[in-house]
Amino acid sequence: MNIAHLIKENLYGGNDELSSAQVVYFKIFEFFVLYNVIQLSWYWGLYTLKITDIVLPLGIATIIDISFMHGNNLPLINAGLISILTVLAFFRKGPSWIYMVVFVLLHFQYVARFSIGEIPHSANLPGMALFSFAVGLIVFKESVHRYRFILGFTIFYIGLGYFSASMSKLIGTGPTWVDGRHLWLWIAEKGTDILSREGTFDYTIVQNIALNSIPAATLMLFVGIFTEFIGPLIWFRKTRPYITLALVGMHFGVMMSMNIRFDAFMMELLLIGMPWPEWYERYKSTITGWFTDPNKIPV
Amino acid sequence: MNFIQKSIRVTLISFLIYGALVATHEGEYWPFSIYPMFSQAGNPWTRALVRDITYVPDSLIWETTDLSSLQGEPVSMRKIGVDQIDYSNFVSKTKSWNEERIAALRTMLGEDYFVSSDWMIYKVKGKLIGNDSVSVAYIPYLMFSHDSTSFNPNFERSEYFQQ
Repeated sequence: MNIAHLIKENLYGGNDELSSAQVVYFKIFEFFVLYNVIQLSWYWGLYTLKITDIVLPLGIATIIDISFMHGNNLPLINAGLISILTVLAFFRKGPSWIYMVVFVLLHFQYVARFSIGEIPHSANLPGMALFSFAVGLIVFKESVHRYRFILGFTIFYIGLGYFSASMSKLIGTGPTWVDGRHLWLWIAEKGTDILSREGTFDYTIVQNIALNSIPAATLMLFVGIFTEFIGPLIWFRKTRPYITLALVGMHFGVMMSMNIRFDAFMMELLLIGMPWPEWYERYKSTITGWFTDPNKIPV
Repeated sequence: MNFIQKSIRVTLISFLIYGALVATHEGEYWPFSIYPMFSQAGNPWTRALVRDITYVPDSLIWETTDLSSLQGEPVSMRKIGVDQIDYSNFVSKTKSWNEERIAALRTMLGEDYFVSSDWMIYKVKGKLIGNDSVSVAYIPYLMFSHDSTSFNPNFERSEYFQQ
């Protein structure tokens, strides 16, 4: 079996019928996307009301003047529209392209909000998951095909994203990227952000270890870039749970060393990287047994 | 065409769109991204913070300093409802401090604060020094007072109006 066939089967292969556990799991994942889309649309929309100038246009704002979203209530109207359409799409009311409309509207919301210098990535995974639903619902009509495509497509772009992050570092800096002193510089930079945000700043234990030892700081950076580099292992079912835990661990390390939180990333990774329906099927009788006969619960 | 063939075809088409968009937009076209953050290691950086310098003597307010000698009281971006990264990038990436840009920053921070307080916008610059240390300099850059904004008199005007 060649590698291309292996990737295809691991991303898009599966049963011809959905189990009830898979249906519930799929809707939980979709609800996670729905929650993030609605929450982000309002969070960004409310903040956009404060913006009156454009410093760094992003995305579609590099082509059209996004200032029409500033100085009025359009961000709130857009958030309302996104919320209604997302709920309709969740319940499969209306045409199959509603999520695609939401995707485009949310892109406008993002570029209106982030036009003054910041390029955040914390919402990229939910955004890509929304893209997966948008494409999957348009292209496929059968539930089982939508399930297999949307999950596989989301996982494909997660693996690709981490791999491209590692390649960006190797191309941008080269192998010396892992030099621990680079981490010192980032700790000072992010520490300044915390100082400005909170008015005070204290180093974490991990930061203290890194600042006191170049080899320790170098090891932290090496583990980070290596974990990103092997990110495509998430494409394969056998390695998926392990690489998921490694990626979540990496994000936890980034949070401790550089004060950068990726909560939605970590939640989505845990949701999509673990075989929850299979685990449910395997341990269903044990779990339900606990409820029907509490004496079976190990005490 | 079976399901897997169709899935692969759709994935490849989406990948081409993804590639075209990020390639023409410096790696970022939300939510498509090659995640280029932190790719340039070891480069000097510039951030920003705010201090309330209402009660600081005029002779001290424009001095570049380090953290331990910072003048005034800290202003927490979280407490005033401003996104720190936004604020910092706004200050560090602005090349020309014309009236509109200054007004936008004052609006972002909250014009009401300047009725009774003087706030100093600091640029904070960090860089690696030698083999084993990082230097961080706190540079007074803009002072916001009631109805007026002052530039640091120690800088040439070109510092505020770069091409």
